[in-house]
Amino acid sequence: MLSIKNLHASVEGKEILKGINLEIKAGEVHAIMGPNGSGKSTLSQVLAGNEAFEVTEGEITLNGDNLLELETEERAREGIFLAFQYPVEIPGVSNLQFLRTAVNAMRQHKGQDEMNAAEFMKLAREISKQVDLDPAFLKRGVNEGFSGGEKKRNEIMQALLLQPKLAILDETDSGLDIDALKVVSDGVNALRAEDRAILMVTHYQRLLNHIVPDYVHVLAGGKIIKSGGRELALELEERGYGWLGIKDEETADSSAN
Amino acid sequence: MKPAPTLSTAFLHPAGQSLPEPLLALRKQRGTALVDMPLPTRKTENWKYSSKYLKLTDDMAISLPAEGKTGSSLAVPGYKVAFLNGVMMPEACEYPDLDGISIKSFGDLSDDEASDLADRLDSTLDNKAVQMARLNSARFEDGLLIRLKPDAVLDQPLFIVHEVTAEASGSAFPRIFVDAGRHSQITLVEEYISSGSAQVMVNTVTEFNVAEGANITSVRLNMEGENVQHIGSTGVLQQRSSRFESHTVGFGGPLRRHDLQVRLEGEGAECKLNGVVVTQGKQHYDNHTTIEHVAAHCNSEETYRNIAADQSHAVFNGRIHIHQDAQKSNADMNNKNLLLSNGAEIDTKPELEIYADDVKCAHGATIGQLDEISLFYLVSRGIGRREANVLLTMAFINELVEQIPIEAVRETVQGRLNHFFEQAFQEA
Repeated sequence: MLSIKNLHASVEGKEILKGINLEIKAGEVHAIMGPNGSGKSTLSQVLAGNEAFEVTEGEITLNGDNLLELETEERAREGIFLAFQYPVEIPGVSNLQFLRTAVNAMRQHKGQDEMNAAEFMKLAREISKQVDLDPAFLKRGVNEGFSGGEKKRNEIMQALLLQPKLAILDETDSGLDIDALKVVSDGVNALRAEDRAILMVTHYQRLLNHIVPDYVHVLAGGKIIKSGGRELALELEERGYGWLGIKDEETADSSAN
Repeated sequence: MKPAPTLSTAFLHPAGQSLPEPLLALRKQRGTALVDMPLPTRKTENWKYSSKYLKLTDDMAISLPAEGKTGSSLAVPGYKVAFLNGVMMPEACEYPDLDGISIKSFGDLSDDEASDLADRLDSTLDNKAVQMARLNSARFEDGLLIRLKPDAVLDQPLFIVHEVTAEASGSAFPRIFVDAGRHSQITLVEEYISSGSAQVMVNTVTEFNVAEGANITSVRLNMEGENVQHIGSTGVLQQRSSRFESHTVGFGGPLRRHDLQVRLEGEGAECKLNGVVVTQGKQHYDNHTTIEHVAAHCNSEETYRNIAADQSHAVFNGRIHIHQDAQKSNADMNNKNLLLSNGAEIDTKPELEIYADDVKCAHGATIGQLDEISLFYLVSRGIGRREANVLLTMAFINELVEQIPIEAVRETVQGRLNHFFEQAFQEA
């Protein structure tokens, strides 16, 4: 489904990703782990098409199509979904309006009729229950005044509404207490499907107790330095990153020097 | 040094003579005072950013003829008064005889009523600060006098449509005077529209006398075409425990100017002033507001938002003056501005003058662009770039649009905003 070959990317002229290779097939769940500054979030942002990051070399294809030629919104319509590490607050745009506009943009792309307000409200209420968000949140501004946990649940809610082909979860576990982690994990597990792939980006392995990955990759200094099964995550939990020859504090920046 | 340009004498000749004698006399006297009136230039502080847009050529001096048909864009429930080129059109008005409420054109006033009005016209405005309002006083050909007796309540909004027909160049001078008695209430909508495409000027004055405990809601919609220079002034005089709420929505033009002056003269009076301005193309819009806290224990709350696209130019100047005796004043002024293009310009200036020592006075002014991160968030959900821009721009003014008290007005405003968005954000 997703194929990344020799991907190099920079932000403000500084190279962060230095040759990533990754193949993800439909139905698989991959976890990317790594210390802070290793390039994990950069990879997520590049996949989603954030223009602040410049791809300098390599290729990304989704089901054979060149993803790098597509604008962010086109990628989303082709099935890429990024759950943000820091979901954005947008006062003045109601969550309901935002979600409905997004769902209808997808439907339009697929040649389906738009959902009217009543139909959408029904769907949104159901899904908000699934992620344990009070439907009252729908009337508020996008993420406005939401707690960290509520924001993350809102991200998962969006994934459930938009039904992507590839869901990228950027540090979705950060800032969650154990109950919220359970709710979010249940939501992610509900996303698992034969025709869908999930890419989890995480610093800690605790999320992986709830969402069991098929593959684990270690990202350091802008490259994947080790890949394995879920046992690799457990090993990292036990031994830290040190045994792989990297320091937890090490950044892509300093390793370049 | 070149002498400052003065108002052409062509402007000193009012046309219609069908007003009651006391008003004709007043108008003549005001006209005499305008001889050699200097026109604002960029050295005139309150016209610094806008004088270059002001074009008072002699062909503009002609009064536009008061004949033809009017058509408001507001299909609304409520009472209606229609003016064409500054003159009331009785056949287009719809309002019943109301107990305690009198709605009359200046032309229909008795000599006694006219004499009383003549004594009070211009009393709500600081004429030094609103130079151009003086031109209206010398030129108005008709006007609307609304009087509410104590405790009178107008049960539906009153829509006043001021249309200008621009078949040929000229000017119109709409005028409204509201006398709201003690504890009376009224919601009033002024809508300014135009037809035709000749270069014209509309020069308006609206005055509110708000007695003790009276409650006024005023909506002002500036919807005229690209050929209309609009120079409007609104004066508000508030007595004890009265309330004045204003919602102004303006779309840009070759010159758009609104001066809003509120004087809180009685203790416990409060005003709330909301304003939304959008400009595009090479349009201009300038809002100047002044709030005078004269008496103690008064509240003022002001929120203005400007959105400027393309090469347009928006100006906001908000002055709050807290007089020495106005202890326990509470004033809050907020002006946020959104630039949608690199070629657009917004000038904002909060001015605070505080002479009392026990007051709360807050102000804030910002100028920014659409937030890239918010935009990325929206498009990452499949929302098109154009629609994402519209959502974020609308978000900037939503709070103010939602506060406009009448649904039909909100819909009219939204319709115009949608048109603005279509022009401002072309599909990529």
